[in-house]
Amino acid sequence: MDATEKHGAQYAAGGAYGPDAVATSMQRGDGGFGRDQQTYYDHPVLQKPHWKWEIVTYFFVGGIAAASSALAALAAAGGDPDDALLVRNARYSALAGALVSGALLVKDLGRPDRFLNMLRIVKLKSPMSVGVYVLSLFSMNAGLRALEQLRADGHVPFAVPGWIAKPLRVSTGAPSTALMACYTGVLVSATAIPVWFTGRRHIPAIFVCSAASTGAALQNGLLALTGGSARTSKKLAVIELIASSAEAILLLHWRLSVGESAKPLFRGTRGRRLERFTLVGGLALPALLLLPSVVSRRPRHDPALGLIAAAAALFGGYVLRESVVYAGRDSASDARAYLRHPE
Amino acid sequence: MSTPEHGFFTDVTLCIGCKACEVACKQWNQLPADGYALSGNSYDNTNGLSATTWRHVAFVEQMDRVEPSASRWMMMSDVCKHCTNAGCLEACPTGAIIRNEFNDVFVQPDVCNGCGYCVPSCPFGVVAIQPQSGIAQKCTLCYDRQKDGLEPACAKSCPTESITFGPIEELRALAEARVAKLQAEGREAHLYGVDGPETRDVGALNAFFLIPDRPEVFNLPPNPVLPSKFQRAAYTSGLLGALALGAVGLAVFRPKPGSA
Repeated sequence: MDATEKHGAQYAAGGAYGPDAVATSMQRGDGGFGRDQQTYYDHPVLQKPHWKWEIVTYFFVGGIAAASSALAALAAAGGDPDDALLVRNARYSALAGALVSGALLVKDLGRPDRFLNMLRIVKLKSPMSVGVYVLSLFSMNAGLRALEQLRADGHVPFAVPGWIAKPLRVSTGAPSTALMACYTGVLVSATAIPVWFTGRRHIPAIFVCSAASTGAALQNGLLALTGGSARTSKKLAVIELIASSAEAILLLHWRLSVGESAKPLFRGTRGRRLERFTLVGGLALPALLLLPSVVSRRPRHDPALGLIAAAAALFGGYVLRESVVYAGRDSASDARAYLRHPE
Repeated sequence: MSTPEHGFFTDVTLCIGCKACEVACKQWNQLPADGYALSGNSYDNTNGLSATTWRHVAFVEQMDRVEPSASRWMMMSDVCKHCTNAGCLEACPTGAIIRNEFNDVFVQPDVCNGCGYCVPSCPFGVVAIQPQSGIAQKCTLCYDRQKDGLEPACAKSCPTESITFGPIEELRALAEARVAKLQAEGREAHLYGVDGPETRDVGALNAFFLIPDRPEVFNLPPNPVLPSKFQRAAYTSGLLGALALGAVGLAVFRPKPGSA
């Protein structure tokens, strides 16, 4: 005799326990379970992460800051005089992003001195601890570059002494920038939340791609506002196109390869929002707007178009971080997803 | 000074659901009340562990309509598991979560900064942020009482010895004997948190249980994960992505011959 015959469909379906527990239990008249009980009244096994808009915004701004810093370094290394304006904009925005990031983390913790508690120890096993040092080194690097830029622009009369600048540049440049772009993805992946840990092969790479596409979009927008050259704008558009295509492919692959545990991210209201504002509005729309300037041999500069594309891409990037963070809260509440996870 | 590992053995077959452990824990640790909401889930109006509830008695009513005499009513007093490989401890960036001299997982309240990363890192959903203090809190295994040679408040108050406290080795021997006795009587009984599949990632639990049914019946995960094991795949994914996009950037910004 199988469970359905023995206890009736309501037990086998197992869906009768939840917020309406009192009503359903009175209807059934037994107040409890059958022998084939799947969960404990569907009460969550896991606690919900408390992260709110501060952390969502930090993930978003931190990614843009990292990408801006990388774009500044790459453009400076390329040495094209047309790109000088990009280098300047990107260096300043990287520092601004780093400062905003720190402020957001302090806001989340509640008091500034609480940030210092994390500088007591270095713990490579904790992505949160790694992240604190990544952000600190990244901020130092961004500060140094911005100072150098201020000096080059003639705003400050002194230069950072070489014995400070050189080791700082070597030790903090590329590694801290790369980690700054991806560690937030590692941070959410290395948890017990099903939607996050089952996405561990996708989330960090998606965050990096989103950092690059939103960073390039922001720089393109700034370039349009500050009157940059069409050639620089085209280079940024190429980077944004490649990054956002990779991001879209990774998102779709994640969606197709993962099972029930990613339900809170890809289905329902949140799934539609992610589709509308990230996949379509944030990735496809800017790509369509940018494509003509990328494929044409003589790039035309259209600031208005650039600004629209940038705004859409930036909003899409924000919605991506928001969706991933809040899907984690829903996933933590889903007892079934965790009790049955395949790992 | 070396102290033998101390922990809890909680025997579901002895629990009568009196909730003395919940009350004693709240009183000794001066934890605030959680309100008077009724859940409708048997006699369980606590629902689960939280930052202000460090012992929680679950009530499982299994009704057998075909053979009413086979119906069961089980109670289980849940608590922090004090894992050998503790996800919260590994995740803590401040070093607030430590393993104390009794080998229990303890949150130092003056060091915790409320970052909340331990919360999604606990595979059992135990530790949580307390909104009033803004820091992470959970069962301390009555660290203060242990230091004075007393047993924790919950174990002290348990009238049926469903909760026993003591050196882990002694507790395991006691638990094995209890399982053997129950099984000899033809009753279902096994240990959760000693050497079963649930210990694959998190290791043996310093607070382990004797349960007469599958773990999920008591909201215990059959397969709890240790989050740090996901780091390698995650870092690989992120750094490969960064490397690939860095290469794209280099190619895009490389000086064109004859252009400059």
